[in-house]
Amino acid sequence: MRWTSPSAGTRTNRLQLFGGKGGVGKTTCAAAAALAAAEIGRRVLIVSTDPAHSLGDALRARLSGEPSQIATRRGTLLAAELAAASALDRWRREHRPALREIAARGTYLDTEDVERFLDLALPGADELMAWLEIDRLAGETACEEIVVDTAPTAHTLRLLAMPAALRRVAEILDRMQERHRLMAERFGAARQPDESDALIADLEARSSEIEAKLRDPRQTSLVWVMLPEALSLAETRDALASLDESGLPVREVIVNRVLPPDTGACPLCRERRLAETEAIREIREALADRQLRFVPEMDKEPRGRVALRKVEKKRTQSPSSPGGWGGGWERRGWGGEGLGGTADISIQHSDGIGDLSWLDDLAPAGLRLLFFGGKGGVGKTTCAAAFALVLAERRPEMRVLLLSTDPAHSVADVLEVPLGDDERPVQGAPAGLRARELDAGRAFAAWRDRHGQAAGDAVGTFTAGGAGVGELLDLTPPGLDELVVLATLLDAVVDGEGGFDLVVVDTAPTGHALRLLEMPELALSWDHYLLSLLLKYREAVGLGRLAAELVELSRSLKRLQALLRDPEHARFVAVTRASELPRRETARLLRSLSKLAVAVPAVIVNAVSPEGCGRCGGPAGEVGTLRDRLARSLRRGCAIMKAPAAFPPPRGVRRLAEWARAWERISA
Amino acid sequence: MIIVDSLLVGGIRFVLDKVASAVDAEMNDERSLREELLTAQMRLELGEMDEEEFAALEREILARLREIREEQQASGAVSLSDGGFAVDVTFRGDEDE
Repeated sequence: MRWTSPSAGTRTNRLQLFGGKGGVGKTTCAAAAALAAAEIGRRVLIVSTDPAHSLGDALRARLSGEPSQIATRRGTLLAAELAAASALDRWRREHRPALREIAARGTYLDTEDVERFLDLALPGADELMAWLEIDRLAGETACEEIVVDTAPTAHTLRLLAMPAALRRVAEILDRMQERHRLMAERFGAARQPDESDALIADLEARSSEIEAKLRDPRQTSLVWVMLPEALSLAETRDALASLDESGLPVREVIVNRVLPPDTGACPLCRERRLAETEAIREIREALADRQLRFVPEMDKEPRGRVALRKVEKKRTQSPSSPGGWGGGWERRGWGGEGLGGTADISIQHSDGIGDLSWLDDLAPAGLRLLFFGGKGGVGKTTCAAAFALVLAERRPEMRVLLLSTDPAHSVADVLEVPLGDDERPVQGAPAGLRARELDAGRAFAAWRDRHGQAAGDAVGTFTAGGAGVGELLDLTPPGLDELVVLATLLDAVVDGEGGFDLVVVDTAPTGHALRLLEMPELALSWDHYLLSLLLKYREAVGLGRLAAELVELSRSLKRLQALLRDPEHARFVAVTRASELPRRETARLLRSLSKLAVAVPAVIVNAVSPEGCGRCGGPAGEVGTLRDRLARSLRRGCAIMKAPAAFPPPRGVRRLAEWARAWERISA
Repeated sequence: MIIVDSLLVGGIRFVLDKVASAVDAEMNDERSLREELLTAQMRLELGEMDEEEFAALEREILARLREIREEQQASGAVSLSDGGFAVDVTFRGDEDE
């Protein structure tokens, strides 16, 4: 019962989860809430589960997988950034004898096979390990309050589904033990429960406990963070609906970075305010049943304790009922005017009007894969869509696929056309362009219908009494999103069936985009493990179709790996903004890409305001700073480009293409 | 008549049985060669065999497969398609015995 804090006696500790689209300020809001809770005298633990951590940036502290103490005026604040891979390793090391025992009893594998199996990397380890780690840290630190800063939307949803998955795994492990238990009984031995039984019981108990805790509104609260933008509202609606459905309702919604009333005469800010007022009106209408909090945008990106205290103060002071200061705008006369049509501001073209020479640098002829990635909310999707449009326009002979792989899709919203999980022409766009929003859940269901039986049989071959392994397929496997993208890329690019010259990939935010790039290696290790098992036991089980398919998959994966590392065939464009947190994350992203040997032809600094207003987008001065700072992380041949700020953000085929023509290079 | 029938049927059946088992044996040869090739491919993927070894083995196996085919064609036997197939020979009257 680790969820019961020893210091608090029988009182259980409270859990507060922060979710939302990338870049909306989840981490800032979570850190601010944790700091405030500590400073009323409590013992608080904050954990980030996003594989691309920025909690340390927000707290101005160097964090690791183990809790570090953050200085506070009162109370105690401990902070940790989950390190999934090492957590998984530690968990396996700690329970290795028990896991070995279960595998030996429940499968026909020998010691060597079991050992190798226990060393395999797992897809989705971030989500899988998160709860066990939070549980461990909560127990070790004896905190009264736990704040969790989650990964962007889709992966938050996966995270919340994970306790149920863990419980099913425990059930299956238990069934693997069953046979052994029955035999022991039959031979009259009074079998004493051993370490492996204890592990299964513990896993079962903990996952049930976490699940119950998540569903108990007295113990858990879910806070959703969003921006006062139409796109953010669309995504929030979808997310809240799926959360309601899974019995984890969100009561509080923070509308972050609302323009404060005193923003001077910047014309861009004025446009932004018009769009924002309309968005807030819609938010109030659509989310009338939630507690709404409005947090104004700070003059500087909030980093460090002083700034975080300010954020929390604004949040708690913000009146939640309509007619508070948020609603006061309409009264002050900002709303209402010019809201009829889209405030279609003309984008200021500088000298480089229509100069698209950078297009060839980003996507030279022969390129097969171009990824757009970066921190959540920097405008990856907008950049990817705009790029695909001008490319298709400029090279009409090319067949281009714009593939959205972020499970929280926004390509259709950005293009303002209906899209789905099939390759569709984009209304109003050049004929060579197709777009698709990948639906991992659907793809998995289809795969399960087609191959589920065979896969279950294959696993069953090595498992005593079947052990209900087939039932595992009823669960959404961890890492599913990345696996499905991998399979789609293999089809579209490697096996040449897709018929596209170039696939432009709109990726999930940084952490999961990197997981995707690591996926071929991980899949290869599983493929080879299964191949070697089949080889070893071929006399008993025969080779069959599975072996041929595994050989085929191994070849395709190797081809994809080679392709990803070949700058002539695959490239990754990093999208960022001219402010501190995105810059730091971009530097980390560039280092990771360099380690993975993936070429980066350009970094796009998005939403750069031409007027140099410090508020809207990145002020011109900061772009220079960003360029100088990033220069150290850049490899030769990587250009820095800027894309102008626009309010409302460019949407629709025509405006997007127009916007992309205003991009320009600001360095070599 | 019964004797003639059974002699005739028995005779035809004997011949057909022989053909079927000959085809079977060849198929087994072919099947086991294919299995051997797949095994080699698996080893290659796993790095247990290098390209050179694999190429040599592959040449050998393909040559043997070709031989089998040529023999089959020469003897006018059914040529085996890539996927392999099962010879399904049933006889009227089986149930009677």
